Amino acid sequence: MDTKSNLSDLSAADDMKDKLIIAGKEFSSRLFIGTGKYASNKIMAQSIEASGTQMVTVALRRVDIQNPQDNMLAAIDRKKYLLLPNTSGARNADEAVRLARLARAATEINWLKLEVTPDPYYLLPDPVETLKAAEILVKEGFVVLPYINADPVLAKKLQDIGTATVMPLASPIGSNQGLKTKAAIEIIIAQATVPVVIDAGLGMPSHAAEAMEMGADAVLINTAIATAGDPVKMAEAFKKAVQAGREAFEAGSSGVKNQADASSPLTGFLRD
Amino acid sequence: MDIQKALYNDTGYNPERLAALLSPEAQKYLEPMAQKARQITRQRFGNTIQLYAPLYVSNFCVNSCPYCAFNKQSDLPRKRLTIEQACKEADILADDGFRHILIVSGEDTKFVTIPYLVELSQKLREKFSSISIEIYPVSTEDYEKLFAAGIDSIAIYQETYDRQDYAKFHKTGPKADYDWRLETLQRAAQAGFRSLGLGFLIGLSGWQAQTQALAQHADFLTKKYWQSKVSFSFPRLRPAENVDEKLFKYMITDTQLAQMMFALRLCFPDAEIVLSTREKPDFRDNMAQICVTRMSAGSRTNPGGYTQKNESLSQFEIADDRTPAKIVSVLKSKNIEAVWKDWDRAFIK
Amino acid sequence: MAILKINGEDKIFENSVPSTLKNLLESLKVDEATVVAEVNGQIIPRGNFQNTILRDGHKIELIRFVGGG
Repeated sequence: MDTKSNLSDLSAADDMKDKLIIAGKEFSSRLFIGTGKYASNKIMAQSIEASGTQMVTVALRRVDIQNPQDNMLAAIDRKKYLLLPNTSGARNADEAVRLARLARAATEINWLKLEVTPDPYYLLPDPVETLKAAEILVKEGFVVLPYINADPVLAKKLQDIGTATVMPLASPIGSNQGLKTKAAIEIIIAQATVPVVIDAGLGMPSHAAEAMEMGADAVLINTAIATAGDPVKMAEAFKKAVQAGREAFEAGSSGVKNQADASSPLTGFLRD
Repeated sequence: MDIQKALYNDTGYNPERLAALLSPEAQKYLEPMAQKARQITRQRFGNTIQLYAPLYVSNFCVNSCPYCAFNKQSDLPRKRLTIEQACKEADILADDGFRHILIVSGEDTKFVTIPYLVELSQKLREKFSSISIEIYPVSTEDYEKLFAAGIDSIAIYQETYDRQDYAKFHKTGPKADYDWRLETLQRAAQAGFRSLGLGFLIGLSGWQAQTQALAQHADFLTKKYWQSKVSFSFPRLRPAENVDEKLFKYMITDTQLAQMMFALRLCFPDAEIVLSTREKPDFRDNMAQICVTRMSAGSRTNPGGYTQKNESLSQFEIADDRTPAKIVSVLKSKNIEAVWKDWDRAFIK
Repeated sequence: MAILKINGEDKIFENSVPSTLKNLLESLKVDEATVVAEVNGQIIPRGNFQNTILRDGHKIELIRFVGGG
């Protein structure tokens, strides 16, 4: 069927569905890794390696003048891993924008995980401030990957603004509770025109596999790996789980057969 | 895709799923498809069907579509309604109980202009809670004017999504521009229209390919204009004065139409599904119990047809000419509530 | 005596503040390759550390990357 350009763009998008492409960059791994909470830079580096990831998140913090520490960044091979600075710590749009600009000055890349979390207990993202900051940052040329609660309307609004992905949480950061927001994430995935990355709360490889089976484009894992008894082994497990989940999604399950409701026939009137 | 999988396990729209549901093999599964379609429709829409009536304001037209009685070449007696005449027609509809009205017109751009529609809409707003239009494609700015005047719903059919067939049937006139027509729903959505009505004229081209194109169009609109709702109509070519039936090679049976509607319901659980008085009472009544959410009633497709019951200027023959009151009672007997009154006029008097 | 506010805390210098940002970082033993610096709210590109003159009362933010999710 021949249709006008924006309609046929949609068909082209279907052809790309087996590759993960964010802002024009192709990823062969659908597992992204956070670098917080590790016991040491060495374990962090080994876990990153074991995960097969191509992108890791980092945060920005003030240098402790009393104890200028080791440079964590030295442990990350920037030729292998794309750095994704986050704006964790920002409690409102202004703070997030400031952190974003600092991050860009530091890394000279313009990719950003937008994270605005005024609540220090559950670290849930502020939808209003996130939307506000996203609008500013997209206009300034950032590739914005916004961390949000699993709110389908918010996800659409961010896509309208031009964010490169949406990143809904499965459950609160660090809680390891898995896909508590599954129903809402299903809607987000159904409605999305950008990759959907499930971020926060995935505690076990089975959660990650489930997320991928649902049709998520990628997952971001931090706590579950960093605080595992053997982070390197856990990183490998997550790598396999993400691959398995994605392959299952692509294979197309025949699933469980549902019975139709027994009731009087509806199509008797069609006699031709 | 396996039909059982398409029917029972897959959800939403994807071309493979739709193809399975539209296939000849799927006809063996018509009953389970109907059951599932009914379940989905009930869940989303309840046991209700919304009633509306078309208000034809002009059968003048600058196009030459061979399938339409209004085509320029036809020697059909032409009629246009002044605003006052249109309002008199509308009064009859309001008295019947209608609160949803669809303004329909041939492409009569000299008379049925944007200012005309704006003025008509402002008057109709006094009596009707929802005004829809089915007219020729216009620009975004024009849709914005119509939206501001109170029109929030549009229906426009691509007739056929096949470019070659389209060119065959629309050789001259503004309607020859396939893309202008295809993109018009996007313009309406941009202008804020809440309900986007799609369809193709069943009979012009192969129905399965057209349904696939229709679905792709709907999917695009749904994703991009996520604040608007999509609505499917099923205009099936019917006998009309001055229309050469031999031109139309792709007529379909009732069973195929039912299959198409079930398949679309399964793939688009939230879309409105509209069945007009083009279809026979028996078909309408049965489909109403399965997946239809909107129906017209007591329609006249000739301008002035409500004040003067005269068939000779009609766009097509009506197959279901039961009165609105009769249709309400038939629906009620099938446990369906007809919805047409959003509020009682007494509240605003 | 001179003061610079560094990361929200006053730091007192006996005579005068370090003349440039680069000097400041050296005196703090902070590796300049690893930090992002803001002086009075302006982000300073790394190449400009040696050209950035500091004065009594300036507010400095020194930020670096740390692990995060």
